Amino acid sequence: MSKKQTGIVANYQYLDEFCTAIETVRERDDFTGFEAFSPTSYHEIEHASGFKPSPVRFFTLIAGLTGTCIGFALALAMDWDWPIVVGGKTAGIPSLPAYVVIGFETTILFGAFGTIFGMLFFGRLGNPQAHIVEERATDDRFTIFVPGVTAGSEQATLLKSLGAEEIKSV
Amino acid sequence: MSDEVKWTKSMADVNRDILVNLQSPHPSYYVALSISILLVLIGIATLAWQTSYGMGWAGITSPVYWGVYIVDFVFWVGIGHAGTLISAILFLFRAQWRNSVNRFAEAMTIFAVLSAGLFPLIHVGRIWVAAYWMFPIPNTNNMWINMRSPLVWDVFAISTYLTVSLLFWYMGLVPDLASIRDRVRGLRRFVYGIMSFGWRGTAKQWHHYEAGYGFLAALATPLVLSVHSVVSWDFAMALQPGWHTTIFPPYFVAGAILSGCAMVFTLIIPVRFMFRLEEYIKKEHLDACLKLTLLTSTIVFYAYAIEFFIAWYSGNPYEWAIFEKRAAGPYAFYFWTMVFCNCIFPLAFWSKKLRENLALSFVICILINVGMWFERYNIILSSLVEDFIPGSWGHFQPGIAEILITFGSFGWFFMWFLIFCKFFPVVSMSEIKLIMPKPLSPKKIQALSQGEH
Repeated sequence: MSKKQTGIVANYQYLDEFCTAIETVRERDDFTGFEAFSPTSYHEIEHASGFKPSPVRFFTLIAGLTGTCIGFALALAMDWDWPIVVGGKTAGIPSLPAYVVIGFETTILFGAFGTIFGMLFFGRLGNPQAHIVEERATDDRFTIFVPGVTAGSEQATLLKSLGAEEIKSV
Repeated sequence: MSDEVKWTKSMADVNRDILVNLQSPHPSYYVALSISILLVLIGIATLAWQTSYGMGWAGITSPVYWGVYIVDFVFWVGIGHAGTLISAILFLFRAQWRNSVNRFAEAMTIFAVLSAGLFPLIHVGRIWVAAYWMFPIPNTNNMWINMRSPLVWDVFAISTYLTVSLLFWYMGLVPDLASIRDRVRGLRRFVYGIMSFGWRGTAKQWHHYEAGYGFLAALATPLVLSVHSVVSWDFAMALQPGWHTTIFPPYFVAGAILSGCAMVFTLIIPVRFMFRLEEYIKKEHLDACLKLTLLTSTIVFYAYAIEFFIAWYSGNPYEWAIFEKRAAGPYAFYFWTMVFCNCIFPLAFWSKKLRENLALSFVICILINVGMWFERYNIILSSLVEDFIPGSWGHFQPGIAEILITFGSFGWFFMWFLIFCKFFPVVSMSEIKLIMPKPLSPKKIQALSQGEH
């Protein structure tokens, strides 16, 4: 996003009005590409936005299982390459229970990295040119950004009627 | 729980009040930081001397090959348990009080594990070859580490724990760093902007963030319980009487959470005072922390008792001899300090009145930390000092190097913690907003209150 989009920003003081606004505008087709910002993650906003379950879970699952395989593979490969024949064990018969710990730890490690990468990927994070439309959105205001419209438009009037305390052009 | 908390602040105050730490701090901050750095320098100088002279100077000699450094290692790993417990397990249990203390409990975890990680290196003497016995690194001997050894499991457990705790902590920080970015100007804005990955706080970002946070908590939960279990196997899988017991994993985990909660409380009190956080870290939150301390203290009490009972009941004379010696022998002082600090003094927390007395609670929590250090000393040293060859029995006293490096590690821990307190929000701003009253419109509040009647 090298060229910043212009549009209007509507600030809401109250969570319930903000949720109503999201529910209203996401049904309409003259609000294409609108974005809702909040200082923290209220579940009401998630419900109002009507999101499907986040696909981050597949990242966690696949990365975690990869970790399990890598952990066991690491231990087994070293067992095969340099067998430690102690305690009456025969070389070539790996002591799998001991490797459960290694497999467990790598499952967690890889699963955690997978989750983080999933979160960054789907949240489009790691973006040095993020378009910050309203600085108070990380403080105490709930914000809706509608690209491509002006402050005098019909969209602005609607947002205002839904309780926005302030409408700005950005 | 949240219903009982009387909030005097609203969401609009949070960022301004919590970020006062970014401005110039109280002079006492610099005094504390200077003392910490001085301790670190003393520790480094001692380590340099020990490295050139040899491990004998540290007091580690046959049969006590695991001395105070391993005590410190287990102690710091234990301290590091509360952070991820508070952020992960209490998150899954929806214990709301965690939101006010989780940030610096997590920071404490990371710095404690960083301190712990130093000790295996210090302990082996030749630090520069340590990577070869710890990690599976190809070498000219064509040998690998022994994956069946609890010590190698420990390397995997601790490094996974450090990494996952760091990810968890930083993930929590991202929205808060974005809040700072939006408040400051110039170079600081640029730096916090990079650190916050360009977080914008859109509903979509929060949606994926919440999902990710939940999974990370679910992954970290078994991890917290496993790490100290693996540490306990370092001992429990040896044949040494006093170590070779099956109760060790749960006993170590409970002890770790006890020491961690006590350390959280020990750090909360000055931090809450220094940065004027009384309105955010409320009395009710401190009370919940002390209740958790009391719970784990009683588990530890039970573990001490049952360990002693089994030593007698099993009829193993060697096991019983070690326990008799712990309680009534030359190390009785360490044993009884441990019992009083970890089991008896925390019983005061049964009383709500005493829990509300912050000065007293603070002192008890410091005593718990002392007691937990003594517990590890007691387990490790009193078992090792009289091993299978009576001819080598003797008495163990910590060497001067061990004492100085132990203090150095405290300096190291507090140094990082103080640096953290200066540049990052010590209370998770986005999460504390969640447990404060929701910013609802007057119309909605009226509708809700009418619905109730």
